[in-house]
Amino acid sequence: MLHVESEIQELKDRLIAMWDLVIKQLDKTQQALEGHDRDLALEIQATERRINAFELTIDRSCEDFIALLQPVASDLRFVLTALKINTNLERIGDIACGISEFISDHDTEFNREIIKHMEADRMLTLSIEMVKNLREAYLLENTAKARTVYKRDRMLDKINSVASFRAVDCLEKYPDQKRQTLHVLSMIRKIERIGDQAKNIAEEIIFYIEAKVIKHKRKEKDKEE
Amino acid sequence: MRTKIETNNVHLHYGDFHALKGINMQIPERTVTALIGPSGCGKSSYLRLFNRMNDLIDGVRIDGKILIDNTDIYAIPQSEVDRLRRKVGMVFQKPNPFPKTIFENVAYGLRVNGLKDKKLIEGQVEKALRQAALWEEVKDKLKKSAFELSGGQQQRLCIARAMAIEPSILLMDEPASALDPISTGKIEELIYELKSNFTIIIVTHNMQQASRVSDYTGFFLLGELIEFDETKKIFRNPEKQQTENYITGRFG
Amino acid sequence: MISFPTQVDRKKRFHQAIAFWIARIISYSILLILFFILFFILKRGIGVINWEFLTAMPSDGMTKGGILPAIVGTLYLVLMSMVIAFPVGVLSGIYVNEYAKEGAIKQFVKMMTNNLAGVPSIVFGLFGMALFVNRLGFGASILAGSLTLALLALPLIIRTTEESLKAVDDTFRHASYALGAGKLRTIRKVVLPIAFPNIITGLILGIGRVSGETAPILFTVAAYFLPKLPHSVFDQAMALPYHLYVISTSGTNIQASRPIAYGTAVILILIVLGMNLLANFVRSHYSRKVKMK
Repeated sequence: MLHVESEIQELKDRLIAMWDLVIKQLDKTQQALEGHDRDLALEIQATERRINAFELTIDRSCEDFIALLQPVASDLRFVLTALKINTNLERIGDIACGISEFISDHDTEFNREIIKHMEADRMLTLSIEMVKNLREAYLLENTAKARTVYKRDRMLDKINSVASFRAVDCLEKYPDQKRQTLHVLSMIRKIERIGDQAKNIAEEIIFYIEAKVIKHKRKEKDKEE
Repeated sequence: MRTKIETNNVHLHYGDFHALKGINMQIPERTVTALIGPSGCGKSSYLRLFNRMNDLIDGVRIDGKILIDNTDIYAIPQSEVDRLRRKVGMVFQKPNPFPKTIFENVAYGLRVNGLKDKKLIEGQVEKALRQAALWEEVKDKLKKSAFELSGGQQQRLCIARAMAIEPSILLMDEPASALDPISTGKIEELIYELKSNFTIIIVTHNMQQASRVSDYTGFFLLGELIEFDETKKIFRNPEKQQTENYITGRFG
Repeated sequence: MISFPTQVDRKKRFHQAIAFWIARIISYSILLILFFILFFILKRGIGVINWEFLTAMPSDGMTKGGILPAIVGTLYLVLMSMVIAFPVGVLSGIYVNEYAKEGAIKQFVKMMTNNLAGVPSIVFGLFGMALFVNRLGFGASILAGSLTLALLALPLIIRTTEESLKAVDDTFRHASYALGAGKLRTIRKVVLPIAFPNIITGLILGIGRVSGETAPILFTVAAYFLPKLPHSVFDQAMALPYHLYVISTSGTNIQASRPIAYGTAVILILIVLGMNLLANFVRSHYSRKVKMK
């Protein structure tokens, strides 16, 4: 294998490891939410530091790659993509940590009905699917798989856009659990941002694989639909 | 990592010209070290210290200590110099195969050093050509003149020639500067692969080459070693302003 | 944008054409003269050349018969002088270029070699007679003649050897040293093979010079008339250039031996030409093997 190829493989492996860690954080967040496991929530917050460190080392690796190997064409696209995906993943990690803080802050269990009504659990499931699909898409260089996130992102957006109305419902229905309702609403806002990050990652993957900057084309495409 | 080569306060004079001014460096075993710097900065002179090639020039004076495997190579008797050169192979700027067959070029060093066993020589030649990633291209024309090879192949032949006698150090003086980009790429890949077996020191004018192939980089300027550090450090964030100016092309 | 006057181009082309034509005419006229000489000699000499001319002894006061002893004598002299001069010259050249340290002695040797090349050939003849014929007691013999001719060719061979060695790029030497080879092996196995085609040029020039010289053999070997082949290197011998000189200036009947003189000249030219061609062939053969990309 060429020197540059082995370096690419190494960087790829690292990024996938980062990805796995972020997915694990999201899975744990889901578990913690379902079972109101405050210990697990604290564990997530502790692990967040590892993700930050991971982001730094990958950043460094990318810098080294550029400084030492002067990549061009597909190699350059690869490293730029890795750099951006790295940042996006770290943000997703942040969000998981943020959600876990709401869980650990609450000494009483969340009202299932509120979560159900506002579809926070469904959103979390959708966002985890997105991150997992993207990991697959990156690993297999499969743009079709990467594109599956757009549909889910629209679903997230839809839930997010009605979240305030649903929150009002809940506030009226459970007047003694206003704090909970507001926290769930905050969680939903956060999860919606996972969707945004995932969309960015999808664009990066597609850029890397198809060398297409679809960011600008998106608008036209949206109009057509 | 074990230190393979060490120089302590080395000065080199060509007559009145002070070519190297107190160079200190420690080169770890099985790594690639690149020496960079503008023309006439002393990097080639420094490279040629390690196999005592400077001895061939009249009026050279060398002070300081140069240790290879903890032995001061300038304290050994003249008769040991050939033995030293067996341990320290060298590849030159211009491909310079001997006017012999491809096989005999690689076998030359073996014969020079007293090997006579035909089988042994054949085995060693094949091994060296394989190491130099040339075997597949020349295995059917070993008896042909080395001059029939392309420039890039000739240079890899010269690398094979140097490696056949199994040195532990390989000195390369701008080994790719006379080659086209494809051949250069091949040589660079080769250097990258060879470092698992050799301690390699390469002089290059090409900063990208230094950054691609080396683990350590030394920047020379006017006979002084301005900075010596991990290549990553040098190319990401050098300590000295002069180094920064040179590698970013703001030199002058 | 500036516009250059168009006449300049025309003028340039004109000057260039004139210069080229002058050079062309000069080089063609040299060729012409050469061909004229060859043609002149061949026309007059070719008629007498036959098998007998090449294999018979001269007879009838050198107005009849062949020139065999002169041919054989010249071949002997050329071969022997080269056998002596070539190794000595090449070794000296190697010494001067590879071993001698830069300095007064080397400069002196080089100067002397150059001076030797400028010495008139008749002086070599006298010196040969004084040293080889008289002092060393070889008498007028092939040995004395060959040694004298060898001295004559020596500076030429030394100089060309030196120049050819100097032309060998130092990186070849360094590459050999870098593999742990010593100086002698480096010279023998690397430097000499590369320099060899050019050293052969020295040999060619030496042969050309030696086979045509008359003065050095005048007092050292050449016999006026000796209708038998030499048996040993201590015998006297006839030689083509001297024979030519004799029959065209002091023969018994110069008029009668004129055709034989031209025939002799043809043979002399053919021998020199043949040896040059042979040496050229050897040279190109080796240089193809050594040729750099």
